[in-house]
Order: sequence, then structure tokens, then C-alpha cells
Amino acid sequence: MSMRNSLLALTLSCAAACFAQTGPASRSSLKVNLPADSPVTLLSADWGESSASERGSAMVLNLHTSLSLRNSSSRRIRGITWMVLSQEVTPGGRASVTKASLDIAPGEAFPVRLDLRLLRPLGPGQLQTGTPLVEMSLDGVLFEDLSFFGPNRLESRRAMTALELEAQRDRRYFLQVLSANGAEALRKECLASLARQADTPRLDVQMARGRATAVEPERQVQFAFLRFPDSPVDPVAGMAQVAGAEARAPRLEVHNKSTRAVKSLEVGWLLRDSRGREFWAGTVPAKASLSPGQKTEVLGQTAFRFAEPAGAPVTIDSMTGFVSQVEFTDGTVWIPSRTALGDARLQHALAPSAEEQRLTGIYRRKGLSAVVEELKKFQ
Amino acid sequence: MNHPTQADLALYAHADLGWARSLLLDRHLRRCDGCRREVDAFRQTREAVQESGAEFPPELHWAKLASEMRANIRLGLEAGAIAGPIPVAGREANWMSGYRSAAAMASITVLVCSAWLLNRPAPQPPPIALDGPGIVLRATPTGISMEGNGRSLALMHRGAEKVTLTVGMQGSLRARYLDEETGEVTIHHVYAE
Repeated sequence: MSMRNSLLALTLSCAAACFAQTGPASRSSLKVNLPADSPVTLLSADWGESSASERGSAMVLNLHTSLSLRNSSSRRIRGITWMVLSQEVTPGGRASVTKASLDIAPGEAFPVRLDLRLLRPLGPGQLQTGTPLVEMSLDGVLFEDLSFFGPNRLESRRAMTALELEAQRDRRYFLQVLSANGAEALRKECLASLARQADTPRLDVQMARGRATAVEPERQVQFAFLRFPDSPVDPVAGMAQVAGAEARAPRLEVHNKSTRAVKSLEVGWLLRDSRGREFWAGTVPAKASLSPGQKTEVLGQTAFRFAEPAGAPVTIDSMTGFVSQVEFTDGTVWIPSRTALGDARLQHALAPSAEEQRLTGIYRRKGLSAVVEELKKFQ
Repeated sequence: MNHPTQADLALYAHADLGWARSLLLDRHLRRCDGCRREVDAFRQTREAVQESGAEFPPELHWAKLASEMRANIRLGLEAGAIAGPIPVAGREANWMSGYRSAAAMASITVLVCSAWLLNRPAPQPPPIALDGPGIVLRATPTGISMEGNGRSLALMHRGAEKVTLTVGMQGSLRARYLDEETGEVTIHHVYAE
């Protein structure tokens, strides 16, 4: 089935039937949008165990779908991002699903799974006829040579390029361990990484735009910074408003110390709680047009509440920032080296890269020989 | 006398050992009371675990749990091999094999209980109170969501291993995980911008 130059509308019959209680039965539930010259084509869609049910005064729709796609380009695909929109359920909100660390050869078919839960109030006249519940649109495809295709509305080019650079960096490191010290050294590396992953503290988080109404008095907390020698941008100063477990309106000043113009950057953010434990909190991403030698301010306009996975709020005591990603105007991206990330605090608080997680996942399930095979596949 | 490894005995007890090694182990077991008792203990442990499985919540994902357990047991054996052998007295000392069986049973019980605890729904912290209307992004044990006006859209990380959450201070929430079925890196993102 050719999808080129087409807008494909797929009907999820069970969801439509259930949503018929509040809307027309024949409406499309999911629409998949592919640009005319898309490098991937849609082969089929499987709806699996999708279901709908009532919960109190709300309708819950569980959409489990797996799209089967084909790489119709002449290059290997390393990553793909889909934008997910549901105007009727969350007007103004957007979501995306990215698959990274892929190795999809030209002509090869591959799946993309989407597990969605939609919740909306029960009541007549709330759905518009002909409007799909969910729309999936291709936002970008990253190829092995780091070239990119897609509208890039979600900045997926920068995100996928950084992921691929991290993947290349970590595969190189694992291969170097293997060639310099042998298979047993690689095994020890995998085990150490798995132990680190198990020990990485995790926070749950809620986020809202605007001002949160915290009960505790608000105070201004200054950022401390970790600086990497090879980073093209340095953090200079920063602060955020903190009240108990809530932080809002982070403000950071950064300096482009490189000779190249910067288009955007991300500053990583670590939190220390009142018990001295350090957590990975997130990033302050910013579109910052920075000429060489220039300084600028990066602002966040959101409020965050951090909690431990069991639900107990985390009392924020201090914060540390570091530059975690820089995108130059020519589209190239800088990421920290493994040496820079070897800092003891980052080793403890920061999760390993997606690729390191994937490789150690292969080790955990299939053993060392499977990891070696996987590493050689990318050489 | 050379005794089979604990891993071989466990695999034999559950009929998961290759036929050639099973034949060799059969011969050994005919002559070694200690190893025979260990095999019996492995079988009893399995039965006990299967019986106690009826007490677990029905939504517990057994296939996922079994695959996690297999991976963790193999990982434990490999890590143990790197750490080196633990000096023990001869296997003929029957009281020692009793301790080993008890230790194996205790380890499996701890593993199953840990898995059950990890599968328990965690209590959800209260949402942020807003000054005005707007979209709230939230991470839960099963996914990340955006919510507003009594409506929500959640991207579920079904079959996820360890999920790494990252907030974007401009108004986004990201969940990165390995898809257990495909082993692929999957990244979900919700944006309030």
C-alpha cells in the first residue's frame, strides 16, 4: 500500500464504537500523516488490545497500536520522531514518540508502537464529526550520515542528532575497552554500568506553566556549576525560585566561549535535597542565538514539583547546572565527552546514555557475545 | 569428586539443561546424595513459588517477570563468577547443601517479592495548584501525561524497564526507556508549550 502523496486515515473500530456513546460511530480515531516525499512508508497498522471504558463521569480510551513502516530511502535510518496531537482531548498540548539507536537498512520494515490513554468527560455534543481523536505526523527521520528529513516542528533534529552522537561515543568507548583489554573487561564495564543504573536515584515530577501556589515561603536559590573544559558554552550565573519541593522560573546566564555561532543549548540541572541526596532534575533547553564571545540569559517559565517515586516530596536545598548540549547554526551538535561525564557527582545522579542502556540491556538478556556482535554491526 | 555447578543443577531441576549434559548429570546424581538433594530443593522451590503465585495480583505481568528473573539470575551468576568462588567444604557434608538450598529458596523469594513490590501501583502525589487554567504535565509509574480541563492524554511506557525522566524547563516532560519486547530505545515527550 503506497502512502506517498497521501493522508492516511485509519479507523479504530472498537474505539469508535465505544466513543459512539458520546459521538458519531463512524468517525476516524487515528490519522497518520506522512509528507509527500516521506522516506518511510506505512505498510499496516495493528490495533492490538485497544479498549474503551467508563470511569466515573469520564470515558477512558486505551489505544494500543503498532504501525509497520518501511525505510523507502536509500540510507540507513538511525532515528524517527512522530508528533502526536489530540486537539479534542488536550487543546494546545502536543506529544511525541521517538525511536533512537535504530539501524534500519533501505527497504527494511520496522515497527513503531504507540500506547496511548485518552481521558475525557462523558457528555453529549463534545466531539466534532470528522475530527480524528489522535493524529500522528512524521516530525523527522535521522539517517546514518546525520542528515535529516522532516518538518522538525519539535526540534527533533537536534534531539536525535545528540542521541546518535551519544550512541557513537559510547559504542566507540565499549569497542575501545574490548580491543584494549579484552572481553572480560567489557563484561566488567557492562556489570558496572548496570549497577550504576540500578543505583541512580529517580524522581517523579509534575510540571505546570505559570505560577504554582506553594504553601511554603519562596526563596531564591543560586545555581552552582560544573564546567567542562571542551564545552563551547559555559554557564556563568543562575538562580531559581524555590519553595519546599517546588522550583520555578529558572534563570541562567551563559557565555559562548567558542568561535562558532550557537543556535540552541541545553543546561542540565541537578538537585540536592535537605538530606544531601543528589538527583537528576532535568534540563533548561533554550533557543539562544549566541555569536562567538557573546553572553545571554536563558529563562524557564514553568513550575515544577519533585517527589520521590513513593510520593514523598523532595525538599530542594541546592542546585547544580552544567551545559549538556549545544547546537551550532550549521546544524552540528556538541555533547559532553565520557571523560567529562566521569565526574563523580554526574556518575551518581545522571542516568547513562540511551545507547549504553541499550547495550547493557542486550548484555543482561543475551550475554557478552551478543553485545560484541551488536558493537561490530555498527563499525 | 567433581560436582556440577549450581546453575546446571537448577537448569536440570527445571528440565532446561541440554540432553548431553543431562545424561552426564543423571549419572552423577545416581552417585551423589548432596547434589540430588539440591535438585529436589530446586524443584520444591519452584512448586512453592508457583503455589504462592496464586496470591499475587491478577494484573501482574508473569511473562515480563519471568524474563526479568531469567536475566537477573544469569547476571547474578556472571557477576558472582567475576567476584570469584566462595570457598566451601566438600559437598558430601550434607548439612551444607541444606543451607545452600535454603539460601537459594530465600533468594528466589526475595526476587519474587521485589518484583511484586515493583509492580505495585505507587501512590500518586497531589497535582500542582495553579493560579489559572493551563496544562499540567505529570509522570506516573506507567506513563507521562498532559492534563487540562478534566481531559488528559497519556503516553504509556508499556513493557518498560528503567524509565529515565527529564523535565524541560520551557514546559516539557520526557520519559526514556528500553522497550522490553524490541530492546529499542523509546522516548516519549509531552509538551505544554
